[in-house]
Amino acid sequence: MYQQENKEAKELGSLLLDVGANLLSSGASCSRIRITMRRLATFFNYTAHISVAPKSISLTLNDETDNAIFSGMRSIAAQGVNFKTISGISRLSWQALEQNFSVQQIRDELNRLLSLPHYPRLVILFFVSLAGSGFCFTFGGKLPEMVITFGATFCGLFIRQEAIKKKFNPYICAFMGSLVASLFAGAFVKAGLDINFEHAFATSVLFLIPGVPLINCFTDLIDGNILNGLIRGINALMFALAIALGLLSAMLIYNLK
Amino acid sequence: MDWINILGKAFWCGWGALGFGILFNVPPRTLFAIWIGGAMGGFLKFTLLQLTAGVVLASFAGALVVGFSSIPIAHFRHVPPMIFAIPSVIPLIPGVFAYRTMLGLMKLTGAIGPDYTQILSETVNNGSKTLFVIMSLAMGVAVPMHLMRKESVKNISLYKKRN
Repeated sequence: MYQQENKEAKELGSLLLDVGANLLSSGASCSRIRITMRRLATFFNYTAHISVAPKSISLTLNDETDNAIFSGMRSIAAQGVNFKTISGISRLSWQALEQNFSVQQIRDELNRLLSLPHYPRLVILFFVSLAGSGFCFTFGGKLPEMVITFGATFCGLFIRQEAIKKKFNPYICAFMGSLVASLFAGAFVKAGLDINFEHAFATSVLFLIPGVPLINCFTDLIDGNILNGLIRGINALMFALAIALGLLSAMLIYNLK
Repeated sequence: MDWINILGKAFWCGWGALGFGILFNVPPRTLFAIWIGGAMGGFLKFTLLQLTAGVVLASFAGALVVGFSSIPIAHFRHVPPMIFAIPSVIPLIPGVFAYRTMLGLMKLTGAIGPDYTQILSETVNNGSKTLFVIMSLAMGVAVPMHLMRKESVKNISLYKKRN
């Protein structure tokens, strides 16, 4: 009996760690990770004690008599934003509660969620470029600037995706994206086109802004996860520096003031 | 009031939000809501800007409207509110101010000339605008959830249930 319970706790612990690690690497805030893991643990009548570090998650499961019966830790590899995983796991945790899932059922469902495809690459490139031209318009750009921003975003994002595929350092990927996008936009300015180059330049690199770390930084700080919040904020700052460096390099190459 | 300009900007804010939604790989069922959210936030921001409110206040109002509307949408579409709210507020990020700040900072590393004070005050002005707008965007998204003081959005109802 004891052995069987122990086995279940082990499986559940490993499942919970996988859930948490996937949430962390797809860009969820700390409180969301804790709430989701705790919700599932409570459902199986365990108390969960969770610690969320920037790149790892530790978990201890206690049973009703408050004996620790599982302790474990999971470290995460690459970080990339994936909201489909976050919403899928959130839905799964409710579904499991409502339909009385077993540990194995949750595990199967989690594996299915993780294998869901991204949007096709061309769709991503097209819509993000469209978003770039949208930003250009909201900052006061006209049609020529919007078209240039579209092209610049397209090239920059393409290069960044290639760099990520080749497993460069994430900040270097952002630098490359920003450099290529601003080189593209700058070429038209250098060619002597009568355009407001501030609009084209400033908005051509906006697709790189680290929006999720920035907002998660404040969410974590408000929730009292000060350390995680600070780390996310510094991460966002590093991205901003990489973007600025790319932009400045392009301006230096074209000798624009 | 230049309504055509405001509506045009709101329209493009919607596309900006949608593009970022796709970049963040949101579930397809939320895409339309994200477009509406982005357009709504943009509409409020640019309307307030025309009414000569400051850029910080205008952005905060835009983010707040997105933050509050994220709660019914989370119910309706069965997603955590952040999935809708984060892409929707991204078009409100002050890209041009950030760009001017960065340029100004680079100029400040040069020699001290007669216009140095001018550059310094412009850079500080642009930098604080950028910082406060970004902070107000994050607040606007996070505050509605915390005002309700519930652990999960599923426990929040905006109207009283009649039993």
